[in-house]
Amino acid sequence: MRLAPTATRPAANPLAGTIVRGFSRYGLITVFVLAVFGAVLLASGKDPLKAYADTFRFTLASAYGFSELLVRVTPLLFAAIAVALPARLGLINVGGEGQLYMGALAASAGAFQLAAAPAWILLPVVLLLGFLGGAVWAAIPGALRAAKLVNETVSTLLLNYIPPLIVSYLIFGPWRSPENSGFPQSPRYPKAALLPSLFDTRVHAGLLVALAGLAAYGWLVDRTRWGVEMRAIGGNPEAARRLGIAVPAWTVAGLALGGGFAGLAGMGEAMGIAGRLQQSLSPGYGFTGFLVAWLAGGRPLGILLMAFLFAVITAAGDILQISQGLPYAVVNILLATILFVVLASRSAPRTSK
Amino acid sequence: MTTPLVAGLLAGAILSGTSLLYATLGETLVERSGIVNLGLEGLLLIGASVGFALTAASGNPWLGVAGAAAAAASANLLFGWLVVTRKANQLATGLGLMFFGFGVSALIGSRYTGAVISGLPRWRPAWLGDVAWIKSTTLFNYDLLTWLAVPVACLAWWVLFETRWGLGLRAVGENPAAAFAAGRDPAALQYQVLPLGGALAGLAGAHLSLAVTLTWSEYMTGGRGFIAIALVIFSKWNPLWAIAGALLFGGAEALQLQLQARGTGISPFFLDMVPYLLTLLVLLAWGGSRRLAAPASLGRTFYGSS
Amino acid sequence: MRLKIAALSGAFVLAGVLAGLLAAPVAFGQTPGLIIGAVYVGSVNDYGYNRSFHDALAQVARDLPGVKVIEAENVPESAAAESVLENMIQQGAKLVVPTSFGYADASRRVARRHRDVAFEFAGDGDPERNFGVFFGSTQRAMYAMGVAAGKMTKTNKLGFVLGVPIGYSLGNVNGFELGAKSVNPKAKTVAVVTGGWSDKAKEAAAANALLDQGCDVVSMHVDSPATIIQAVEARGGMSIGFQSIEARALAPKGWITGLGFNWAPFFTQIAKDVMAGKFSGQAIYRGLGDMVVIAPFGPSVPPDVQTAVKKAGDEVAGGFNPFTGPLNDNEGRPQLPPGGTVGLDQMGRMNWYVDGVIGTLR
Repeated sequence: MRLAPTATRPAANPLAGTIVRGFSRYGLITVFVLAVFGAVLLASGKDPLKAYADTFRFTLASAYGFSELLVRVTPLLFAAIAVALPARLGLINVGGEGQLYMGALAASAGAFQLAAAPAWILLPVVLLLGFLGGAVWAAIPGALRAAKLVNETVSTLLLNYIPPLIVSYLIFGPWRSPENSGFPQSPRYPKAALLPSLFDTRVHAGLLVALAGLAAYGWLVDRTRWGVEMRAIGGNPEAARRLGIAVPAWTVAGLALGGGFAGLAGMGEAMGIAGRLQQSLSPGYGFTGFLVAWLAGGRPLGILLMAFLFAVITAAGDILQISQGLPYAVVNILLATILFVVLASRSAPRTSK
Repeated sequence: MTTPLVAGLLAGAILSGTSLLYATLGETLVERSGIVNLGLEGLLLIGASVGFALTAASGNPWLGVAGAAAAAASANLLFGWLVVTRKANQLATGLGLMFFGFGVSALIGSRYTGAVISGLPRWRPAWLGDVAWIKSTTLFNYDLLTWLAVPVACLAWWVLFETRWGLGLRAVGENPAAAFAAGRDPAALQYQVLPLGGALAGLAGAHLSLAVTLTWSEYMTGGRGFIAIALVIFSKWNPLWAIAGALLFGGAEALQLQLQARGTGISPFFLDMVPYLLTLLVLLAWGGSRRLAAPASLGRTFYGSS
Repeated sequence: MRLKIAALSGAFVLAGVLAGLLAAPVAFGQTPGLIIGAVYVGSVNDYGYNRSFHDALAQVARDLPGVKVIEAENVPESAAAESVLENMIQQGAKLVVPTSFGYADASRRVARRHRDVAFEFAGDGDPERNFGVFFGSTQRAMYAMGVAAGKMTKTNKLGFVLGVPIGYSLGNVNGFELGAKSVNPKAKTVAVVTGGWSDKAKEAAAANALLDQGCDVVSMHVDSPATIIQAVEARGGMSIGFQSIEARALAPKGWITGLGFNWAPFFTQIAKDVMAGKFSGQAIYRGLGDMVVIAPFGPSVPPDVQTAVKKAGDEVAGGFNPFTGPLNDNEGRPQLPPGGTVGLDQMGRMNWYVDGVIGTLR
């Protein structure tokens, strides 16, 4: 966490300083990404300039393309907060995937139970249930860690695998869609439960919730007393305990809050994009969110920028597969390389663990 | 005649458990030196894809096995350089390795998807093959990697606990500063164990593609790397206990399908949850003592200070 | 510091201008007669389902001048497919072929937004103006496969590995068992579900579990039959293939026969319709003799079995529907009344195992 600039050069405008520092670091990362991507493309026998042109054309330069970027950004924001928030306490949450599906599951249950309710009741209900689903699922590892029974890295990892199986059971069984194709999925949600879409694109209100959540997260950690307590625990739990901070309670609460955001990601994908409960709601947002949060050093602005960058990269993967025959796998290599380079450089972002 | 459930379960457990055992052994050795590698899944995928690609291209499965071990060892060295020399955060680096493995394995494997290989040859001692109830099963009809799995585990135990090198490794994992003061070179020891652990993970992946599935498809390992990470804790960082763990988990995977084949009414999805729940329960039950069994400076911040 | 900002901003602006300049000419390449876009759930090298489409479309591109095929592999069956489909249209595709059932929602949404693009969806549902549905009906053809299995089995236990228990897959198992029972009343089929179209490790374990249970003939409905056939062959069992008739190369001793898809004639006709501006969405289900073919027999199949299978195949091709009541499910409940039938277009809704199949669906 950066403190005030050194005394020899007083910052004329701290906000400008933050923005410039932020952009120059993330800007450097972006430029570096472009260079590495170009090298990888060359190595695969493809034309980097055409690839950049295609990517630009189909993402930033087209209204539909830009809206698709926002569609990808939404769950990444949620998943990154899910990692960053507990990280302030020194807790590692790699269970975003499972928490995401739990959120989708809980929200689905609410939508089906209250199918006849109007939107002004149903929407807050599914939002709340989505958050609770993920929160409860993450509270389990939190409690285990607070009781010093199991390390949360391992327990969140293991618990990733169970919610998708529960979803599968439900959509093959009690929640099986009666429609013809027999493809495993739930029936469509009642219209009142669907998140409203913005500007007639696939971008849905979940984006607004995510941005609000990001702001709330930043406010919580940087500007409240709770944030100070969290950072104290993250820095030195023993000292924090001696100061009277309730470390076990914070352990559970921190993971639960983080899991709640991951649950919102699941709810957003289900009620905002898919329109029903499916097995393949998440292509690994839980893990990508970890990378986003880590690269951003847990900072809200960084999370926004990195989520955007990741959205562009993954969109490029899809586009280039079709236009240039580039296997999507290259995107994973690219993401890994970015991470490796940032990790290897001495001025790597200082995470809270 | 149908195989009794126990025999079928055992056969299935060994089929599934071999790759789990190799992966667990690799991770155990590395964690004993104080490094936690969350990217084990990536190493498995690299091993599986490289092994399959080399075998499909050359027709020689042993080349595939060797290549898989070498490739995964190299990947682990890259991981090691970041974590030991550049002192990067182990968890983030591990996840990066996982993504790296996803991508590299998909690229390597994509050219050979659909290739047909005969895989690793199987062998059963003649006297066992004559026993009636064994003959119709896959019991004791194994490829070399499966035959060697338990011996390798014993060897790993011996190296870890009965050699000077193993002692030094464990000392580094407990307290690198003290080990350094006692004249050992923590970084050197870590750099020595990393390719070894990587090679074992590579063998695990190779077994999957060359002996179990005889094919390659993306993300084929299906989370085995993460189960192995949990198995390391389950087995208290002891290679001998890892054998039991791998059998138990291989068995849980096989149980689901054996039960379906017998027509039981339990949902396959619930049966699929068993391995993960089982691990958690075991970790829970022995939570306190297991934590104390961990190398004290594992991951440095892996266990936090509470 | 200011220099750094200036340099970075300059770099971004330059990159943007460059990209924009380069983007323009790309739009005006020479346009071929027809661009076909195909979306696959797996890899085209899978020796099975996806390959059958890839091969057929490649054939069309060879046979008809001016046809180009663009493909996307390993696209998940979720709303994410929507952006892939949109992308193909942006790249000029005028005939889009989503090849897996899970693309239904995404495809229909995209089709409604682009009424000038023809869609042929491999699955079911109601056709729309520019949205056709099609599939090769294998369920009745499986009856002939069951006849082969029923005659070849020595243990009277047949095995069947399902990937995902959707209606089409269940129909395949049921057709298989009905065929087997028709020549061998004691034959039972054990059905095992792996949970995914392409979970190789589970498929190997499933095949072994079936063999442990005494099944000596195994068939399957998964994306690629390779792993299962090889596992069965290694233990001396017999196999009946699916998706691609080339799979017989994997089982030199134990191969009995199998089913494969031949989509080329269908797609050739559709491509011609689109190029002539005459496309209209319909529901087209064709079975044995058209989109579905029977594979050559293996060396161990005696002539009388071959005759029986060919006879059953001809009956099916001629219109015989094995799914004719009265039929009970394997829990004793009547599912089809006497004379009742399951039509080709209703196969997707099947959700029961016929009497004689050992397995649960919950």
